[in-house]
Amino acid sequence: MVVLMKTMLSAIGLIVGVCAMVATMASRVADAATQATQIVEITAERFSFTPSEIRVKAGTRVEIRLRSEDTAHGFRIKGTDIDVELAKRGRGVKIVTFEPQTGRYDFECSQLCGAGHEYMRGVIIAE
Amino acid sequence: MLHSSTVENYLKAIYAGVATLPRGQRLVPMGQLASAVGVAPGTATTMVKTLAESGLVEYEPYAGVALTAAGQKLAALVLRRHRLIELFLVRMMGYAWDEVHDEAEQLEHAVSERLIDRIDEMLGRPETDPHGDPIPNAEGLVKQQDSQTLLTCPLDRIVIVTRVIDQDREFLRFIEQHHLKPGEAIEVEARDTAADSVRVRGRNDQRITIGTRAASKLLVHVAHGLLLLLLACPAFAQTAPSQARQTQRTSLSGYMDFHYNNPEFADATLDFHRFVLLVTHSFSDRIRFVGELELEHALVEGLEEKGELELEQAYVDFLFTRGFNVRAGMMLMPIGIINERHEPPVYYGVERPFIDTVIIPSTWFEAGAGVHGEVGRGWRYRAFVTAPLDASEFSADEGIREGRQQGANANVSSAAVTGRLEYVGVRGLTLGASAWSGRSGFQFRPRFNVPVSVAEGDARFSRRGLELRGQFAQVWIDNAGVLNDTLALRSGVNPNIARAMRGFSLEGGQRVISNPRLGEVGAFVRYENFDTQFRMPSGYVPLRQFDRDAWVIGANYWPDPDVAIKMDYSIVGNQSAIVRAPHSFNVGLGWWF
Repeated sequence: MVVLMKTMLSAIGLIVGVCAMVATMASRVADAATQATQIVEITAERFSFTPSEIRVKAGTRVEIRLRSEDTAHGFRIKGTDIDVELAKRGRGVKIVTFEPQTGRYDFECSQLCGAGHEYMRGVIIAE
Repeated sequence: MLHSSTVENYLKAIYAGVATLPRGQRLVPMGQLASAVGVAPGTATTMVKTLAESGLVEYEPYAGVALTAAGQKLAALVLRRHRLIELFLVRMMGYAWDEVHDEAEQLEHAVSERLIDRIDEMLGRPETDPHGDPIPNAEGLVKQQDSQTLLTCPLDRIVIVTRVIDQDREFLRFIEQHHLKPGEAIEVEARDTAADSVRVRGRNDQRITIGTRAASKLLVHVAHGLLLLLLACPAFAQTAPSQARQTQRTSLSGYMDFHYNNPEFADATLDFHRFVLLVTHSFSDRIRFVGELELEHALVEGLEEKGELELEQAYVDFLFTRGFNVRAGMMLMPIGIINERHEPPVYYGVERPFIDTVIIPSTWFEAGAGVHGEVGRGWRYRAFVTAPLDASEFSADEGIREGRQQGANANVSSAAVTGRLEYVGVRGLTLGASAWSGRSGFQFRPRFNVPVSVAEGDARFSRRGLELRGQFAQVWIDNAGVLNDTLALRSGVNPNIARAMRGFSLEGGQRVISNPRLGEVGAFVRYENFDTQFRMPSGYVPLRQFDRDAWVIGANYWPDPDVAIKMDYSIVGNQSAIVRAPHSFNVGLGWWF
């Protein structure tokens, strides 16, 4: 009886240990993936980007996923080569990647989209 | 006939191997092929014999292997898939050019010819991939490139980078970092054989010295003729395709609104309600011009009963920071939802809401100056000083609408102030509060004060095709009794202007069909309550026909997000037992470009 209980306890301990190890590894893999690329989703709609203030970690790769809720907009990050056109509503997501150094990066709509086009601006703050 | 990925990889390796052979040699040595596909020579030989039996290659023992015509076409089609996938990933999915090769290696064996043809069409039948490699056509034919390397091209001549033949990720990043990607205009200034290096002048006159090995991997095309002329022009110089958009400094857009209105008690009309052209120009990143010219009702011929030609916007923005900017010129008043956001495809209903017509006199624009900006996560402000309204044009029916001076020799003996605070920090949600205040009695002699104030609040929420809107606005006119008496003396008719006007509206809409090919359909219902004689001056009785409400129900069909075909039925009521408000059936076509 004692032997049986010891065997059961050992088996339970082994299972718990393996689960803990797998969970730890999975967590590390997920952390590594998260640290490798920071994903930011931005929605564009006349006449705002949401969110319009984005904080990211300096030096990491930032993947910006852009989607329009109405017409074609532009997305330009000043001082960089990034200047892309966003497809109209329902026609897909535009993805740009960006590796900012510490600082503020203003972005704006670079495609005339209506009477309030000049209000479509935002900032990426890399810290 | 379908071939395995192994067969395709062998054919591709032979195809690539042929390009490296010395002139006069046509067989790829088996050792080279085995190395290219990453197997032992014996394994490669076994596979090549199988391919020879299939008629895809010619195999000569102890000499090597060459592609037959059938094998060459098959290899070219694999390369076509690979390169189109690379370009698709970069252009449409935002991949970096140094990370697409591995993805394409996997996908090139999985996609169908039909999908590849669609991708080819979607990309505009491109001739090269992101690295400049030529893309074979659907017949497997490749357009020959007339290129030189940085080791052989002329010195001190502008050349265009056409191709990078090494797709090692580190090398591609190096090329990108130093602006040497295909499309860049550069010059080779010097070659140093002793140091095995090449000095290149690139974008913005930046110099970089690279090794001859790296230089041999960059193919270029010597610029001449019209291309050279364009490169000499500052607007085009040193531009790769990705930079071309930034040089576009003037933009033209517009919107149009075409209506069929069939009201009760009157004949139906066809009205080209609005033809609007917008033009913007960037003097620099910090100084921008915006202009909006509107032709209403299609025809301008002297009297206002015809159309109107209006300069609704013509301002210059001086952009300092995200939080603080200065604007001067003809500007839209920042009041309500529609006044600043009125492109036809963005709202339901053929006509603009009543509250945005008789309470808020949209399109409301005046000459002036002010500041605007955004702080934090979506808090926006606008504050302008502008010309005031002209109280001598107010009426019982249309409220303050005809009092707009519209920048036409506007009297500014006193100034009006207006502002809006807006929150756009939550996806799909916009909350706004606006105000306007000014003295409007400048036309009268002896002059007396007619202070006018407008307060407005609005909310808009949209997500997954659902759109909800609510708006409330109220106008106060002080000294309205004196104003009525004075105008009655002038014209002989008392205009019965109120001391307070008020309106609100609630709207719900839902896109019920959303099909990428057929377009979208949305239905809506709106309730409005508006009264231009909400509170009367002492001694005046409100006329009940001006206390109105309306139910508007209808639908929009968007064949394209920028084109809207609209239909609605407007049921208008009032509190009068004598005067009836007309219902109307309306159809509209509006578009933005």
